[in-house]
Amino acid sequence: MTHLVQVLLLGITLGGVYALMASGLTLVFGVMRIVNIAHACFMIAAAFISYWAFKLYGIDPILSILISMPVLFLLGIAIYKLLFAPIAGSTRYGELTVLLTFALALIMEGILGFLFTNTYRSTNPAYATESIIFGPFYLPEGQFYATLLSLGLIVVLWLFLQTTRTGYAIRATMQNRTAAQVVGVNVERISMVAFGIGTALAGASGSMMSFLFTFYPGKHWEWIAILLSLIVLGGMGSLIGALVGAFVLAISAAYVSFFFGPTWSPITFFLALFVILLFRPQGILGKKMEA
Amino acid sequence: MTESSISNETALVARAESQKKISSRGKKAFLGGLILILALFPLLQFSVGSLNYWLHMLLYTFMYIAMASSWNMIGGYAGYTSFGHNVFFAIGGYFSGVLLVYAGLSPFLTAPLAGLAVMVFGLVIGLISLRTRGPAFIISTIAMIFLIKISFDNWDFIGGSNGLSLPLIQLPLELVKMPFYYGMLLIAMGAIYTSYKLRRSKFGLGLRAISQDETKAEVAGIPTSLYKILAFAISGLFIGMAGGLWGYYLTYLRPTIFLTILVATKLVLMSVLGGKGTVAGPVVGAIIFIAINELFRTYLGFTELNIVATGLLMVLVLLFFPQGIVGTLKEIGKLPRVLDWD
Repeated sequence: MTHLVQVLLLGITLGGVYALMASGLTLVFGVMRIVNIAHACFMIAAAFISYWAFKLYGIDPILSILISMPVLFLLGIAIYKLLFAPIAGSTRYGELTVLLTFALALIMEGILGFLFTNTYRSTNPAYATESIIFGPFYLPEGQFYATLLSLGLIVVLWLFLQTTRTGYAIRATMQNRTAAQVVGVNVERISMVAFGIGTALAGASGSMMSFLFTFYPGKHWEWIAILLSLIVLGGMGSLIGALVGAFVLAISAAYVSFFFGPTWSPITFFLALFVILLFRPQGILGKKMEA
Repeated sequence: MTESSISNETALVARAESQKKISSRGKKAFLGGLILILALFPLLQFSVGSLNYWLHMLLYTFMYIAMASSWNMIGGYAGYTSFGHNVFFAIGGYFSGVLLVYAGLSPFLTAPLAGLAVMVFGLVIGLISLRTRGPAFIISTIAMIFLIKISFDNWDFIGGSNGLSLPLIQLPLELVKMPFYYGMLLIAMGAIYTSYKLRRSKFGLGLRAISQDETKAEVAGIPTSLYKILAFAISGLFIGMAGGLWGYYLTYLRPTIFLTILVATKLVLMSVLGGKGTVAGPVVGAIIFIAINELFRTYLGFTELNIVATGLLMVLVLLFFPQGIVGTLKEIGKLPRVLDWD
């Protein structure tokens, strides 16, 4: 019994991080209908920022989100202007953007691999290997901080979307792009800002990934597959769906790992995806949508 | 209208028709000649010495022509982009490989069976994946790769992540590539012919209607679900066959060879580069892509830069020639007749 509760705790402390990783992806899809296949590449890029900040200047990986988030925000804006602004309004926009982000992922993976090689890395601040012990249970300290910070950032994102004018505009664009345009929202600018926020969130989660998991440039395929499964499960474009999906899957994966061994744990995400497609193609909280 | 102008017009029509016939006869002669040259090419080996590098490059190209043409059936005609078609390749390879190792059956006999097995697999996956449209479908194809990769990595019967060694084909060095060369040539011809027949059929018309506007296609009475699932399954047939031969050719099977997303990327890029939804597009795209890739490999060396170049090429084509080479040429009316296979 203690074991089962312990596994639940481990799942919960990863769930928050998964939720943060997925939040940027689902936000970008919700606003722009872009499935950003390069999302996990942005995470890996941020992980490298934190890695070098820690290695060269001893900056704590959690603090380094103050560097990685703005850098990734600007990178996202630049990429949006370069790749997605020119094809706005194209009849095959949805299909084109998937192929473009796919190509972007290849380019980023290649550049990161060229610069930093494909060796396994991770940052190792003191808390990465410590545990918080209470009674018969323990929480890995790094995971615990990362999940708290992730949930904090998600709350900030939620407040931003609920209370600021830009937030209103983003939500309006998510609900109905044309109608938002009619009432005077500059959807092009909003899309650019939302894309930047999405990559900045990838930046924050990448910094935390740097001490939670080992990473190398080619690793992003595994992450993006997991995250995409997760947002389909939750309902694409739904932030709450991403949150629910992240916790459900992180906890399930923890149990799969406990009962069948860690090599099988990632399969939880992909099996869950096919099961959900079979019974509820629009996801747990998604609305039925036309492609 | 006077009688003379009518007869004039009929004469014109007749002339245009006869020209069309001549051009289609010319096209047939061109393609027939090309196949004959490709069929006779390996025999040069006996007179000018080793051509094994060229045989390798050609059979590799044939394989990708077959696979890109197959991808095009669902990705081009129906407009359902799949990033998971390497799974078909892997299952074909393992199907024939396992039969070779455990039952001693030659992959040259079992490759067609591998193709059929992959088709059945495609039907099952298609039944689930194709319940969705657009982005969710693409995501399910990526998930399919990882689902199969993790399963293969942990399945001891087929060698797990270490893979399975296959016995070498027992032939002298100058003959060793020949069966694979002819095998892949046949598979490529089969795939192109199927792609051509499919595009011209009512079924193909239905698929193209789906890619234009699925809801309208459904309203018009096209059984869209059935068509999509069938196209997905058929697109696995030749890829599975190619996989069966490719594993034997490499003499080992390993999940990392077949199940990296880069293999599927190549199929997508070849089709996009050549022109999605046309018969000749994936063929042209495969030839050009492999040629460029070989040049990069010779001059750039680094595999990382190779990935960057692949990505950049894809971005440039998508932004400036989204119709691909064949599609763009066709639109401006400059497509050489011999490449107009639609």
